[in-house]
Amino acid sequence: MKRTHLYAYHKEHGKIVDFGGFAMPVWFEGVFPEHHAVRNAVGIFDTSHMGRAMAEGPDAERFLNYMVTNNVAALEPMNGLYTVMCNPRGGIVDDLIVYKLAADRFFIVYNASNREKDFAWFKGHSEGFDVSLRDVSDEVAMVAVQGPRAEETLQKICSEPVSEIGRFELAQVKLCGFDALMARTGYTGEDGFEFFLLDTPLGSPEKALEVWNALLEAGEEFGIKPCGLGARDSLRLEAGLCLYGNDIDDETNPLEARLRWVVKFKKPGGFIGREALLKVREEGVKRTRVGIMMEERGIPRHGYEIWDGDERIGVVTSGGLSPTLGVGIAMGYVPPAYRKLGTSVKIKIRNRLAKGKIVKSHPFYDESKYGWKRDRK
Amino acid sequence: MSEAYKIPDGLYYTEEHEWVKKLEDGTVLVGVSDYAQKQLHEIVYVELPETGSEVSQMDSIGAVESVKAVSDMFAPVSGTIVEVNEALLDSPELINEDPYGEGWIAKIEPTDLDADLTKLMDAEAYRAHVAAQAH
Repeated sequence: MKRTHLYAYHKEHGKIVDFGGFAMPVWFEGVFPEHHAVRNAVGIFDTSHMGRAMAEGPDAERFLNYMVTNNVAALEPMNGLYTVMCNPRGGIVDDLIVYKLAADRFFIVYNASNREKDFAWFKGHSEGFDVSLRDVSDEVAMVAVQGPRAEETLQKICSEPVSEIGRFELAQVKLCGFDALMARTGYTGEDGFEFFLLDTPLGSPEKALEVWNALLEAGEEFGIKPCGLGARDSLRLEAGLCLYGNDIDDETNPLEARLRWVVKFKKPGGFIGREALLKVREEGVKRTRVGIMMEERGIPRHGYEIWDGDERIGVVTSGGLSPTLGVGIAMGYVPPAYRKLGTSVKIKIRNRLAKGKIVKSHPFYDESKYGWKRDRK
Repeated sequence: MSEAYKIPDGLYYTEEHEWVKKLEDGTVLVGVSDYAQKQLHEIVYVELPETGSEVSQMDSIGAVESVKAVSDMFAPVSGTIVEVNEALLDSPELINEDPYGEGWIAKIEPTDLDADLTKLMDAEAYRAHVAAQAH
């Protein structure tokens, strides 16, 4: 199994599992306490298993804009955007964040499970563009600091005023004196940051360990917890965020995945998959991603069938018990006729059909009580 | 992380980490082992078998679920389910807290206990089984 910069910490304090070939902590204390720490205070996640690449050169912007569906040309320097990239059939190759460092320099962050696939996909399409691509995953450590106390925690070890970094903005900072890029992004639904410790090779991870431990100390007064992949998954599910490989994949298009907002059909130059997606838009989607909340006992899981009466209408792509809401929640795909909020469906859990209903899933929780929007008046 | 598991003497164990405890009235209590609950970690849901149902040894009779995983529960012996631990419906974490006590799952009136027990492990054999799984 591959290891991240913080493996030494995980091995000592966490329960290690194989996640897409990486030895990663599924939890340290437990999914529940870690989940609640992020919703109510602050938690930190090692996300150094994710893919990170640099795209540089006069054609870097034009190249990336052709690769992804969102409009990279609209980015201001030191800003990022969430997007997907598609294959010619309109299926999603991956979802990713593209940051613009300068007019000819971009930083790309993509899924751990797609590290090889994505980099090869970029490389394979770069001919004819004056762009150089560099996989920096093993030279940059990545950590997410998430939760309502993330800003206060980070400020203690950060050289720059963290509060001035807006959502999806990027800043060049020093953390414990080390060069880092800091973005106000995350995968939990909460306010928070993801930072990239530069020049931190896998072989000499001391800087990463020092910053990680400094964060634990800085956040101690707020009840900070190191968090594993278990809480990362339960938090993103509650926030209604897609997991690549579960909710989206090469056979799923962004329109049915309800990621229409990241597809910019009118941007100049086009993009891979545009024609296929235009056809989908014209003909209408055959299925759509929905949120389901259980009304009976039972926990929906990935792969469980969704039923209406005696008809099987779809499949759960992500599911679990929501630690915040205390009930089973799921995302899955059903025909568009079932999209209406409140529609009754059933989930086949082992040998019985348990009642659920279609709910708002982005996020599942009440945004006046949880998530990054709650503090906005 | 501590990898020590409680494996009491006097119980019988399956390879799938259920335990069987003989009671004086001829019935048996069944549950899942300390190893099983530690592997699952925070147990959030238990699907209990139905009282009165007849089960054969190693039939799937329910499930124990954590946030991350679902673990099928198998009948360690054949017989009739005469009682289930309904406290687990509201407090599934009892299995984490006390897997061999308050976390029991069902009571079975066995049909051929002696024959079934020969197919199970005693504590010593089960300790070796768990040690082999942990590595």
